[in-house]
Amino acid sequence: MASDSMFSLRNGGRNAGSCCLIADDPYAHSSQSEQDGRYFGEAAYVPMIEPSTAQEAFDMVKWAFEVSEKHRTLVIMRTTTRVNHQRGMVSLGNLNRTPFKRKRWADVKGQYFTVGAIARRLKAELLEKTQAIRDEFEDTDFNFVEEGDGDLGVLTGGVCYLHTKEAMQNLGINIPVFKLGTIYPLPEEKIANFLKSLKTLIVVEELTPYLETRITAIAKEVNSSLRIIGKKSGHFPEMLEYNVPIVETAIADVLSTVPSTDYGAILERAARLKEILPERPPIFCPGCPHRGTLWAFRQALQQLRIRNEIVFNNDIGCYSMAFLPPNEFSDSMLAMGASVGISAGMEMALEDRVIAMVGDSTLYHAALPGIVNLIHHNSNVTLFVLDNSVTAMTGQQFNPNSPFNAGGQPARKINMEKMFEALGAEKIVVIDPYETRDCIGPIKEAIQSDGFSVIISRRDCALYGDRQKKKRGERIIPSENDKETCREIFACVREFYCPAIIVDESDHKMLIQQDLCDGCLECRQVCPVDAPRSTEVER
Amino acid sequence: MKDNETYNIMFCGVGGQGLMLLSAILGKAAVDAGLEVRTGEQHGLSQRQGSIYVHFRIGKPLSPLIPYGRADMVIAMEASEVLRYIEYLKEDGVVIMSNRIMPPVSETEQIALDKQKQTKYITVEQIIERIREVTYRIVTLDSLELAIEAGNPRTENSVLIGATVACEDFPILAEDVRKALLGLVPKKTAEANSKAFDLGMEASTDCLGTS
Repeated sequence: MASDSMFSLRNGGRNAGSCCLIADDPYAHSSQSEQDGRYFGEAAYVPMIEPSTAQEAFDMVKWAFEVSEKHRTLVIMRTTTRVNHQRGMVSLGNLNRTPFKRKRWADVKGQYFTVGAIARRLKAELLEKTQAIRDEFEDTDFNFVEEGDGDLGVLTGGVCYLHTKEAMQNLGINIPVFKLGTIYPLPEEKIANFLKSLKTLIVVEELTPYLETRITAIAKEVNSSLRIIGKKSGHFPEMLEYNVPIVETAIADVLSTVPSTDYGAILERAARLKEILPERPPIFCPGCPHRGTLWAFRQALQQLRIRNEIVFNNDIGCYSMAFLPPNEFSDSMLAMGASVGISAGMEMALEDRVIAMVGDSTLYHAALPGIVNLIHHNSNVTLFVLDNSVTAMTGQQFNPNSPFNAGGQPARKINMEKMFEALGAEKIVVIDPYETRDCIGPIKEAIQSDGFSVIISRRDCALYGDRQKKKRGERIIPSENDKETCREIFACVREFYCPAIIVDESDHKMLIQQDLCDGCLECRQVCPVDAPRSTEVER
Repeated sequence: MKDNETYNIMFCGVGGQGLMLLSAILGKAAVDAGLEVRTGEQHGLSQRQGSIYVHFRIGKPLSPLIPYGRADMVIAMEASEVLRYIEYLKEDGVVIMSNRIMPPVSETEQIALDKQKQTKYITVEQIIERIREVTYRIVTLDSLELAIEAGNPRTENSVLIGATVACEDFPILAEDVRKALLGLVPKKTAEANSKAFDLGMEASTDCLGTS
């Protein structure tokens, strides 16, 4: 989504370095798709580097700024999940920070208007620059060869370098390794020299055969009989995440030996031992306002008998989990802010009622142009805005819906209702998901109304709210189930899915785990007989 | 521990239990003891109630991820999570686990909907029986009870950390770990945390029969 800006940024600033960090997520642990960002460097002529460890990431960032300032270019540091979510020892060395100082435009003016003739001139400059960077990358110590025995070698980078080293240790072998630190431009001469002495090369890289393809091209020139082991040979998958066992098994196979451990047998036994284990999918926190909003929405659909006559376009945030039971909504969830654009298109093409859902953070970050478009066309779309005060999913950061900016400094909170009014939204309703039952009526009304309608469901994120309460010295009072009243209807379990709620095996009644309960009492609203009630005991 | 060795710990638990603090404490202890540390963590969709883990490696770690069958120790803040990551535990490795089970909602639903009332929650005993196919060195702690005994129910982490150092092949000295622990918890809870550490250590020593 940032590539347009990135292609323009490549020409670099005139005064200071710029380094952009990107992260790919093999296995799509928390992404909408597995993507390989390595192609962007080459496509935009932007140098791209990749670290393996925390220390190397630190060293590379410093170097990236040097390269950026020297060559007036953007530099991209590409990482993967296992580099980003890695902790390790870092020796900081000397950090020379220049204090921030504003400058005059006249002194720093650069060529930022790029079209036609200017764009062509800049492209020619870019090619020259790239050649200079290519030369520099041939010499950098971030590309290095570890000598070893024999004519079988490995070329790898990023976290795969670490998996490879450990796999070699486990196999008790010492084969030559080319550790690649610059993905673009590649140090082609250095690689060519490495390939010359080999009969077989194993390329270890996650995702697409980016390196394998380029190494094959280099080998064609310098060592055309080189056997290349990688994805095309079938030794490595083109998807999911690698680990030591995967790399070790592939290397062992090439060496016609076996891995140090029978990993397959371990996995088989583990699968058998886990048979009794229930899954633990992610779930809304106890006290989460989204749980109440979605419950009320389901009731509204049920009462209107239109559960199968709607399309529900979800967006990026905690509320993405609406695709899980007990809600099982979500006909789409593709990219941040996409729910509104997709809804605009669907509304033109489908008979069904179209519903979109965004959080407050996604609303301001990426949904506004789409909303303008919906209102402009008076589209028959109902938009839920789940306003929980903060960017909850990533750790309660502030956003334009907060009276503070991202740095924690006082800022202006955008008035959400006024904004929708100003845009000309005719139907704007505000609901409180903790008054769960009372939400059903307004939701029904909004869904049935003609044209664009917006439902703002407003209540602090439970984690954020608790933190604020504690700051103010307020107590969090957990709830309990009044077992005399409880009739084992279990609406609280079937329809609500709060992790604080379990079944007491001694009497088969619902039990609220006191240390997990947030005291929101949404479950009381869901219970047909009002069995859950507040305790007055402090947690 | 020898120069080229790596000691591997798999931390696991349920989002919200304080696993990150637990690994930060042992991380600090390792660093203070002059050992290298590398961890592989999981972030994102597991703020609360999801399954979470930290691969924690001390000594000469290479990959941030422990290979299957190579964890010297599994530390679990929730009992059933040991099974979820059982492929990482080595034969005869050590398991230090809380006896607390936090049932996932899907399991509660099955039990609630069983009108015959026959379906039961998975038990700690069932879990231990299965872990025993890999190791007998299992320390099960009533960490909440011990934390309450120490004077603060929120010191369960310290109970588990205390239990860890009682294991004879654990590479960091008990007092170094205690120092790191007390350096990272709020000052006013230092006494309770220190007591919780001791209680965990005692309980673990009894289980493992080591000193």
